[in-house]
Amino acid sequence: MQGRLFVWLVKHGLVHRSLGFDYQGIETLQIKPEDWHSIAVILYVYGYLRSQCAYDVAPGGLLASVYHLTRIEYGVDQPEEVCIKVFAPRSNPRIPSVFWVWKSSDFQERESYDMLGISYENHPRLKRILMPESWIGWPLRKDYIAPNFYEIQDAH
Amino acid sequence: MAATSSYLACTKFSMLGWSGGKRDLRMKRVLSVSAQQQAEVGETQEAKVQEEQEKVKQQQPTQPRPVEKQLNVKSKNMGKDYGGQWLSSVTRHVRIYAAYIDPETSEFDQTQMDKLTLILDPTDEFVWTPETCNKVYSYFQELVDHYEGAPLTEYTLRLIGSDIEHYIRKLLYDGEIKYNMDAKVLNFSMGKPRILFNNNNDGQFQDG
Repeated sequence: MQGRLFVWLVKHGLVHRSLGFDYQGIETLQIKPEDWHSIAVILYVYGYLRSQCAYDVAPGGLLASVYHLTRIEYGVDQPEEVCIKVFAPRSNPRIPSVFWVWKSSDFQERESYDMLGISYENHPRLKRILMPESWIGWPLRKDYIAPNFYEIQDAH
Repeated sequence: MAATSSYLACTKFSMLGWSGGKRDLRMKRVLSVSAQQQAEVGETQEAKVQEEQEKVKQQQPTQPRPVEKQLNVKSKNMGKDYGGQWLSSVTRHVRIYAAYIDPETSEFDQTQMDKLTLILDPTDEFVWTPETCNKVYSYFQELVDHYEGAPLTEYTLRLIGSDIEHYIRKLLYDGEIKYNMDAKVLNFSMGKPRILFNNNNDGQFQDG
């Protein structure tokens, strides 16, 4: 069974791929980074970016940036939601920023940048938010090795 | 001339805290080194002065090259307008600042960012002798030389500080330094004293 959004997008000829439904029944779609900035504007129908997160798919593989969108409606017990995944290659992880569409992605994209190194184009202030500014490396990547700082392991 | 003054500086830096009780100010173990190579001439002169010491040591550990002591140092760039330029790495035994700190007056000159200052064990958790102090200073000098060319950020200062902490722990396990039983905070942060710390360090109190 194909989700509603998938069907609608196909009808309008927008390139994407369906990733099925996750365990809560939320439709998941994959969109390419090149198309993402235009499709994001179209998806503003879902006016609420519930969360933006990112994860590392596999060591040596792709980096995924996940956008969880819902539409705010009143009087409904199950608002429409959709989950969009954008995969970026590890060697050049650049994804268009959706800050100009959904403002709440400001800090969340900074966190994805800080932890995984995905650089969001056209983000107004993309810099590290959790780690100190001079940190080297992307901590949540699967191939990240933390340097042997003394205080982390040994201090009592 | 540079050699003599740095030699004097060496001696001064290696005095223990509270020793003699002559000074009112607490004598911190402070060492400033320049992040750049000093002239070769200075090195050889200092080598001649400390000739005997060299003959005793088989392998020559890096001699610390302290920066010449400066007069009339004033604290600079410490106000909040300059907030954000302070580079430091601070852990319990090692404090490294990218500034010049005067050893006696503790004036903190932030504009001289080409120098790194190491303050060793300000809380006196261990008992330090001149030899052990100098070991740590030589190790610090080696690390600074090794990291030459790296960007001057807190990340590299933390790497340096972390390496020095590992080195201090190695000295403790080899028995060369001991815990100071008169310390205000006695929590054996580098491991409870054991008989087999590679050596016999049963945490016994030593006159200092």
